[in-house]
Amino acid sequence: MKIAALFIVLTVVLLPTLGFSTTGDGTIKGIVQSFVSYAFSLASVLLCLLTLVVSVYSVTSDLEQKRLYTVLTKPVGRYKLLVGKLFGVLLLSGFLLLFFSASIYAIASYLPRYHGTGTAEREQLADEFFTARRSLRPAEPDVRDEVQRLYRKRIETGQVPSEARHGGRARDAYMQGLAELAASWKRAVVPGKELVWEFEDVRPSDPNGSLFIRFKYDVSANPPDLQIAGRWFAGDNRVYAADAGGAVYTFERRDLIRTFHEVKIPADAAADDGFLAVGFYNDPRLNEATVIFPPGEGLEILYKAGSFTGNFARAVAVVFCRLVFLACLGVFAASFLSFPVAILLCLLVYVTGTVSGFCLESFDFLGEAAGGFYHWTVRPLILLLPAFDKFNPTKFLLNARLLGWPLLARIAGVMVCLKGALLLLAGLFIFGCREIARVIV
Amino acid sequence: MDYAIETFKLTKIFGDWWGRDKVLAVDGLDLQVRYNEIFGLLGPNGSGKTTVLKMLLGLLYPSRGRAVVLGGNGSDPKINSRIGFMPEESYLYRYLNARETLDFYGMLFGLPARVRRTRIEDLLEMVGLRAVANRPVGTYSKGMARRIGLAQALINDPELLILDEPTTGLDPIGTRQIKDLLVELAARGKTILLCSHLLADVEDVCGRIAILYGGRVQTAGQVKTLLRQSDKRQITTGQISDNALERIKGIVKAENSYCEVTTPMDKLESFFVKTVAEAQRQAKPTSGAVSTTRIGDFLMGRERAEGILDRLVSAPVEAGTPVQKRRDSEERAAKTPRRREGDRRLLEKLSRGPSRLKSPDVQRKKVEQAGKDSQEDRVRKDVLRDLTDGGGSTASKGDAGDGQGDRGA
Repeated sequence: MKIAALFIVLTVVLLPTLGFSTTGDGTIKGIVQSFVSYAFSLASVLLCLLTLVVSVYSVTSDLEQKRLYTVLTKPVGRYKLLVGKLFGVLLLSGFLLLFFSASIYAIASYLPRYHGTGTAEREQLADEFFTARRSLRPAEPDVRDEVQRLYRKRIETGQVPSEARHGGRARDAYMQGLAELAASWKRAVVPGKELVWEFEDVRPSDPNGSLFIRFKYDVSANPPDLQIAGRWFAGDNRVYAADAGGAVYTFERRDLIRTFHEVKIPADAAADDGFLAVGFYNDPRLNEATVIFPPGEGLEILYKAGSFTGNFARAVAVVFCRLVFLACLGVFAASFLSFPVAILLCLLVYVTGTVSGFCLESFDFLGEAAGGFYHWTVRPLILLLPAFDKFNPTKFLLNARLLGWPLLARIAGVMVCLKGALLLLAGLFIFGCREIARVIV
Repeated sequence: MDYAIETFKLTKIFGDWWGRDKVLAVDGLDLQVRYNEIFGLLGPNGSGKTTVLKMLLGLLYPSRGRAVVLGGNGSDPKINSRIGFMPEESYLYRYLNARETLDFYGMLFGLPARVRRTRIEDLLEMVGLRAVANRPVGTYSKGMARRIGLAQALINDPELLILDEPTTGLDPIGTRQIKDLLVELAARGKTILLCSHLLADVEDVCGRIAILYGGRVQTAGQVKTLLRQSDKRQITTGQISDNALERIKGIVKAENSYCEVTTPMDKLESFFVKTVAEAQRQAKPTSGAVSTTRIGDFLMGRERAEGILDRLVSAPVEAGTPVQKRRDSEERAAKTPRRREGDRRLLEKLSRGPSRLKSPDVQRKKVEQAGKDSQEDRVRKDVLRDLTDGGGSTASKGDAGDGQGDRGA
C-alpha cells in the first residue's frame, strides 16, 4: 500500500534529522535522551497508526470491493482469512519495527562519537543511559494508625465536614487526604532532623560497579537560591561505627529543588545480604526550610542489572505487543464495520489507551452514580481498553530503568494473550456469522 | 432423482438498517438442476438471479426455505471444493498478474504446485491471455478480466459450474468460445448453472431453463419444448428456380395456409468470427486477448498432446454455430470434418509409404539415387510441412522420417 510507503519515507527522513538536530539540555546525555525519546515515540506512534489502517483496510477493502465473493466460495474457512490478514499485518509491522528500532539504536550509539564526547561524559553516559538499572523504592509508610488518630481528633475539634462523617465517596476522599498528609509527615525532614530509608535485596550485578541514589526535593518554603544543602550517607548502618569500619559512604551536596538528581556511590555500600541504608540530614546551619521527599519519586536506588541492548530489545518487544493488540483490534472492527467507522473506533481506542489512567479515573468517577449497572457492564469494557501509558517503554529507556522479562511477560500476557485474543475471537465469531453479500436497502 | 442443485421454497427478503423487510428478492423458489445438464436461470435485471446464486454458495442466508448443492451445504468446504463460481463481475486483486491470480486461487483449492503450473498455462492458453499473463489484472479491460474470472472458476476442474452472466463484457469470439466450452464441459459430465439476461447466448447452450420475474419462477422447462412454434413449419432449400418456388407456394395455399419466402441471413456473430480469424491468420498484432479454440487438457480429461501424431490428428474444430455443435454432439464421433478426413488420408499415405519401397524398381531407384531424395520422400516432406504449418517445428522430424520410412521396408 502506498500509505505504508509514505510512513516508511516519513520515518526514514525524520529519524536521522532528529538525531543530528536534537540538542536536549546541551549535555550529551540530554541529547541522546531527547533523541531516543522523540525517535522511539515517533516510530511507535507511526507504526501503531499504520497497523490500524492496514489491518482495517485489508479486510474492509476485500469486503467492499467484493473480492471475498471469489475467495470465500473456495474451500477456505472464514477464520483462516481473518487470521491470514492478521499475520500479514503483523509481518509488515514487525519488519518495519525492526528496521526503525535498529536505526534508532545505531544513531543513538553513534551520537557520542558524532559530538566528540570526552571520556568522563562517555562514562557518565554509560552509567546513566547505556545501561539497564533495577529500581528500588522505599516502601510506603503505614499511616493507618495516624490517620485514625487524626480523624478522631478532628471529629472532636469539629473540623470534619458533615458529608465526610458518614460512609461513601466523600468520607473516603477525606480519609485519603488524611493518609496523604500523614505520609508526607513521614517523608518530611525538618531542619536538624534526619530521615533514614532501608532497602533490602540490593544486589548489583557487578560488586565493583556503582549504585545510584536518585532523589528529588520538595520544600515547605522556597529558599532564595532554590537549592537545598544536604548531608547524606549510604551503606550498611547496622555495622557502622567509627572503629568497626564498614562500607558506609557520606557526602554533602547542594541541589536544586523539584529536580531529579543522581548520586553515584560504589556498589559495595550494599551489604552482602542486600541490605542498604540511605540517610539524609537537614543541616539547620545551611537550610531553613523543611525538606519533603515526594511520594513515589522522592527517592530510589538504582543499580545495574542488565545491558542497554537487552533493555532496548525488550522495549521494542513491548511496542510489538501494542502492534499485535492494535492489529487484533483492527481486524475485529473490520469484521462488522465499514472502513471509516472501523478506523474511527480504532483511533478512539488507541487514543484512550494512551491516556488510560485518566480515562479510568474519569469513568470511575462518573460511574459512581450508575452504581451496579456501571460496575457490571461498562467497567469491564473499560478494563479491556489498552493501558499504553502504564507500560510506556520510552520511560524505561530514558532513565535506564530495567524493563525485565517478568514485566514483559505480564504486558504480553495482558495485551496480547488476553485482550488481543478476546478481540480476535470476537472478530472471528462475528465474521463467521455475517452475510458477506448482505445488502441494506 | 438426485439433483445437483435443489431448492425448497427458497426465499430472500432484504431489510433496511432497522431490520424491517423491504425488498422481496426471491419468493418461494423451487428449483431443480439435474446432474450433467446446462441449466439457464433467466430473468430481467432485479429478478433475483444473482441472489439465488449467492444463497446457493453461502454468501447470503435464506430468509426462508433451504438449498441443497451437491448433496450438502454450498458453503461447506467439502462441497465448494467441487464447485467453480464465476461472479457477475470479476472481483480480482488488482496488483496480481494473471498467473499470480490463478496461482492464488489454485492454492486455495490445495492443488499441488506442479498441477497448478500446468493448469494455469492451459487456462491462460484457453482464455487467450498468455501474452498478457504478466500484466497486473488491474490494467485489464473488462472482457479480459471476465476471461480471468472464467479461468479461476475452472482451476479446480469442478463438477458444478455456477456462472453469473458469463458472456457479459466478452467480444463475440470470446462469447463463442465460452459457449463451445460449456457444451464440451457438459458433454464431459459437468453440471452447469448459468445465469444470464443475454437470451441468444443462453438459447444456444442450455438444455433447460427457468425464467424468473419478481423473485418467482414464471416458467421452466426444456428449451426446445418452450420455444417450439407448433403451429408453423420451416423449410430450408438450396438454390431453386422461381417455378419451383411458385409450385411450393401453390401447394401451401392449397392447404389453406400462408407461405413466406425470405433469403436466409448469416449471423453477425459468425461473420465477426470469420473476420477476426482471418486477421489472426495474418498474424496481425494485438495487445488484447488472443482467441484460441483449444480447451484445457485437464478439463477434457486427457494428458497434454505430445508428438507429431497427436498434433496431426488434433485438427482445429471447424467454425460453426454452437447450436449445430449441440445438435450434432452425439454424431460427432461418426462425422469427420473435411480437414480431419484429409489429415487421416495423409496419415494413411505416410503409413503406406514403406510398402511402396518394396517394389524392386523403387529400390533400384533409391540405390541409383543414393543421397538424393526420392519422389515419395519429397511428397512425404511436403505433406508433413503442409500439415504442420503453424503447428511448430515438425519439418526436421519430417526429414528424419525419410530414414524411418526406409527402415520400415
